[in-house]
Amino acid sequence: MTKVALTLSINGERHEVLAEPDRTLLDVLRHDLGLSGTKENCLEAECGVCTVLVDGRAVNACILLAAQCRGREVLTIEGLARDGKLHPLQQAFIDHGAVQCGYCIPGMILSAKAYLDEHPVPTEAGVREALAGNLCRCTGYQKITDAVLAAARELAPER
Amino acid sequence: MRFQYYEPTSLTDAVDQAARFGGEGRFLAGGTDLMIQIHRGVLRPRHVVSLDRVPDLAAVEASGETILGAMVTHRDLEHHPALQGRLRALVEGAEVVGGHQIRNVATVGGNVVNASPAADVVAVLLALEATVVLLGAGGERVMPLAGFLLGPGSTARRPEEILTAIRFPALVGPSASAFLKAGRRRAMEISLVCVAAVLALDERTGRCVAVRVALGAVAPTTVRAHAAERVLEGRMPTAGVLREAGRAAAGECRPISDVRASARYRARLVEALVPRALARCLERIGAAA
Repeated sequence: MTKVALTLSINGERHEVLAEPDRTLLDVLRHDLGLSGTKENCLEAECGVCTVLVDGRAVNACILLAAQCRGREVLTIEGLARDGKLHPLQQAFIDHGAVQCGYCIPGMILSAKAYLDEHPVPTEAGVREALAGNLCRCTGYQKITDAVLAAARELAPER
Repeated sequence: MRFQYYEPTSLTDAVDQAARFGGEGRFLAGGTDLMIQIHRGVLRPRHVVSLDRVPDLAAVEASGETILGAMVTHRDLEHHPALQGRLRALVEGAEVVGGHQIRNVATVGGNVVNASPAADVVAVLLALEATVVLLGAGGERVMPLAGFLLGPGSTARRPEEILTAIRFPALVGPSASAFLKAGRRRAMEISLVCVAAVLALDERTGRCVAVRVALGAVAPTTVRAHAAERVLEGRMPTAGVLREAGRAAAGECRPISDVRASARYRARLVEALVPRALARCLERIGAAA
């Protein structure tokens, strides 16, 4: 199949990719750009491990074509830290022991970021609802929720 | 996956491309069903035509009649100010679909065309007596949603036709809508049964003048519960009458047994949820009065 040139904006950087038009964003992120922080699992938009933000909204990268992201801003887990300093959500996940095997965590953190960006003063029920599309099989949901609420308190002065 | 991908920027171009590809083409809206079916090998289109960049398909118009563009997302339905009143069932149907990642992209047009018998928003649209607008090479067709849905995954849409919009008349006077869903968890769940109800009362007498009940996951398509509606019409909506409507709905629905629930359990859910949805409509009418 003929490859097409795609210009993608990922974590604030422009990337030129030559890819088949039927390739998913997940596939291009992981295999063409080496951004393997976005995880691959069910490939059916069920588990949420491939969650990235497109124009600020959480989406499953496994069912989105890379070509659909032209002209849009993609944020992956690699784009959260600033100047070598972890994002408050990332730090809070570490501090609260919210990470066990870690596989679901990039998706959890991006879903949480989309939620906190819209709800700077979150509720516990709101956090749980925001993360409903992200499955954790280590059953760490309570600590994950605690971490998101703590991150919101940390982020509050910045707003 | 092996397909060519197109992003037309006008409806005319989209229709032209689809007409050229016929059965080998598919329109892509949110992709939450299509991409999965392609990945599983169930669908093998050679051409995928995205509607993402076609202008004006994502608008909600709500002056009198409501017109939902096909590319309106479930998230849009959840947050649209014009849907928070009498049309609240649409918000309730949209907000229980998948998780945020799904609702951020899954469209109302895609939901209708996908024709799942368990589609939550489709049940609400059926209760709102929606019509669908289709655009093909031969021009525009408008038909009732009830006649558009033919079976699981099957509709009256021709391969080259785009479902451009879904329309339904305004609810006026003392009227309200409500949606309820049964499932094992509150998110990421396909309905075991879902119920949408629209109720309008006579302003003077308080009797039911218009009643529309739609059921999901109890037949090959989402269906109206006409027997339940007839129980209520012209009568005072007492608790006993609502329960009677629930029994009528349970009697007329034709659920199947599958891995998620037995037919008998689904009928019992219908019997319980129909009166509950109607009671919620009554509460809302009361609150609005």
